[in-house]
Amino acid sequence: MFQNTKCECGHQNPTGTVLCEACGNPLVDDLPPDSPLEMRYDGAARRSQKQNPDLIDRVWNFFSSVKVAVWLIVITLIGAALGTIYPQESSFVNLDDPAQYYKDTYGTWGMIYHFLGLSRTYESWWFIGLLVMIGTSLVICSLDRVLPLYKALSKQQVRKHLNFLRRQQTVYETTLQTEPAEWVEKFARELKRKRYRVWIDRKDGMALLAEKNRFSRWGPYINHIGLIVFLLAVLARAVPAWHMDKYVSLDEGQIKQIPDTPYYVKNEKFTVEFYSDDELPERLKGTLRPKLYETKATLYTCTADCDDPVKDPVLVPVKQHNIQVNSPLSYKGLKLYQYNYEERIRLISVKPMLVDKTNNRSYGPFELPMTDPPLTYKAGPYTLKLSDVYPDFGLDEQNRPMTKSRDPNNPAFVFVVTGPGLAAGGEMYIYFPMPSAENKKLQDQLNESFRKLGSNSGRFAFEVNGMENVSFSQYTSTLNVRVDRAMPYIWVGAAISMIGLVMGFYWQHRRIWLRIDGRALTLGAHTNKNTYGIRAEVAAALGRTGIAVEPKALDNRRNKR
Amino acid sequence: MYGGESVKRYRKPIQYIILAFVVLIGGYAIGQSFFKKSTVLKAGEAAPEFTLADLSGQTHRLDDYKGKPLVLNFWGTFCPPCRDEMPDLQRIYEKWQGQGLQVVGINLSEDRISVRSFAKSYGVNFPILLDKNRKIERLYGLKEYPTTFFIRPDGTIQEIAVGGPMSESFIEQRVERLFQP
Repeated sequence: MFQNTKCECGHQNPTGTVLCEACGNPLVDDLPPDSPLEMRYDGAARRSQKQNPDLIDRVWNFFSSVKVAVWLIVITLIGAALGTIYPQESSFVNLDDPAQYYKDTYGTWGMIYHFLGLSRTYESWWFIGLLVMIGTSLVICSLDRVLPLYKALSKQQVRKHLNFLRRQQTVYETTLQTEPAEWVEKFARELKRKRYRVWIDRKDGMALLAEKNRFSRWGPYINHIGLIVFLLAVLARAVPAWHMDKYVSLDEGQIKQIPDTPYYVKNEKFTVEFYSDDELPERLKGTLRPKLYETKATLYTCTADCDDPVKDPVLVPVKQHNIQVNSPLSYKGLKLYQYNYEERIRLISVKPMLVDKTNNRSYGPFELPMTDPPLTYKAGPYTLKLSDVYPDFGLDEQNRPMTKSRDPNNPAFVFVVTGPGLAAGGEMYIYFPMPSAENKKLQDQLNESFRKLGSNSGRFAFEVNGMENVSFSQYTSTLNVRVDRAMPYIWVGAAISMIGLVMGFYWQHRRIWLRIDGRALTLGAHTNKNTYGIRAEVAAALGRTGIAVEPKALDNRRNKR
Repeated sequence: MYGGESVKRYRKPIQYIILAFVVLIGGYAIGQSFFKKSTVLKAGEAAPEFTLADLSGQTHRLDDYKGKPLVLNFWGTFCPPCRDEMPDLQRIYEKWQGQGLQVVGINLSEDRISVRSFAKSYGVNFPILLDKNRKIERLYGLKEYPTTFFIRPDGTIQEIAVGGPMSESFIEQRVERLFQP
């Protein structure tokens, strides 16, 4: 579209200019002549507006459009909303077959949901693509507008075109009864009292510009900078080292590696306190309500032999903390939160005695840990050699002993006892440390069958004297391990964004222009919000210079109606 | 005055720089979402490298077996089908060892003592490696026990047999395929 951008004042404006950069005279004729002027960006051309755009310009212009930005935001919001229909895959601790899970749990819709990839909405290429596009749009929209606006506001001409003044939202025209130069001085003083910065036309003193709170115009752009920082931080979570969310379950006394890190965590002790009945409301009395649960945890870091398959890793404790809900163990960006607990009794170690049933003498005790037990033990004159371990004892179809799982639910140990008065090959005994009637029976049966096979003489038994010789874990504590290195940047972004919003919301950029032609005073005033405020200010200043006027009468729109 | 041509000269480079940043950062972020590493291995992919100790404390690396067809069996004494297929694996090993077949069993992070006594009682004489803290098991994305990987001499996975027990003929068919060029 051809547009004549030369103003009648002689100033040559760039393509796309709405109001002459110098005198403010409207250059676009398609507005109704009597309506208030469009004052966006002070009528300056957007930076990217030009006559023959090439490909790069077209891409630039696409992102420079606020209309496009609004659509991007709307589409992103719809996408984000779709992601909340069913739980996201990432919200499960372990989900082996998501396709099957969604189908079984949510039926056909679940299947479609998973098929469309909506079960991973926030990690999907299109969602991240939309975020990237919004970020681009933020940068380009802001840049295209803030630079021309900055230029327009820092080079304002004091004397404006009559058309510009008469078509502001706040307008006043009168014929001065007093000496004009004197009146301008007086009016300027009044405006200064209201904290306006005032410029008077140097040539004849017959035009004035007063302005305050210009900085509030930068609010939206500062807000955008904050949002960009925020978005970049969100995208940075895709970098593996920046984000981790894992779970570690630990019995008391157990130490485990935190997957994919050099850190190990040990559950020293888990405690849970329940509310007593008189602390509970009527309907909950008699139920177990945890008041406090706490994992006494130690964090270790591996300093050597970390991936050595033969040697044990060398661990150095780095931090100790009593982890409670909302009080995580925190070390170098790694955070361990209390996530869950489960009552599950697990032996840690026992100190049994070897009992000689022929003379009722006992030997020992010897310490027998449930995990990684050593190969040999000494009990008095006897040596015990561990020949088999079954962490979760059971029998297979052929009634052979086996372990049902890797978890030490019901451990059994097979020892070969050698020593004075025993055959050179020793005698074989099975021992169940977990005290239960069933285990006792099983132990006797198995040892009896060993005896029948000639593996032992039935001479020995194992006995634990008192609970002080048993250490066990009552609870399994589940910790949530998180790394979120993007979080500080998210807060910084949010803070910058909030500063921008406050700047834009709580202050208004107010400007008053006036010119005197002969004795005819023409005044126009503009604010980006709160027109009541500026009318009241103008009316008050006029009143103090002897021109009594109702604030309402300054409303240009009202006058026209 | 009022901007004009002097400013316009810098406009193009700024546009290029900003758009280049967008392509870079956006490309990385979107690329990440595409190539999110799935923990499940598929046939055709390279078998992940590991270093593990066997029952006598000797270390074995997957790389050591490059150039030979390899049957990699994940097993545990707690899993009945694993126990059931062990003699079949042993027979296949004995039969094909001469042609260069390697059979390696990776135990599912059990106690050395139980693994050793199990291997002894079943007469297994191919290398049994001891996983620690389920690390290699996790690396291979195991969901079911046993799981057997049939690995070509070049280190890529030809087939994954999930569950068991596998019969001798089932194993043999796949071993034959490993030997086909």
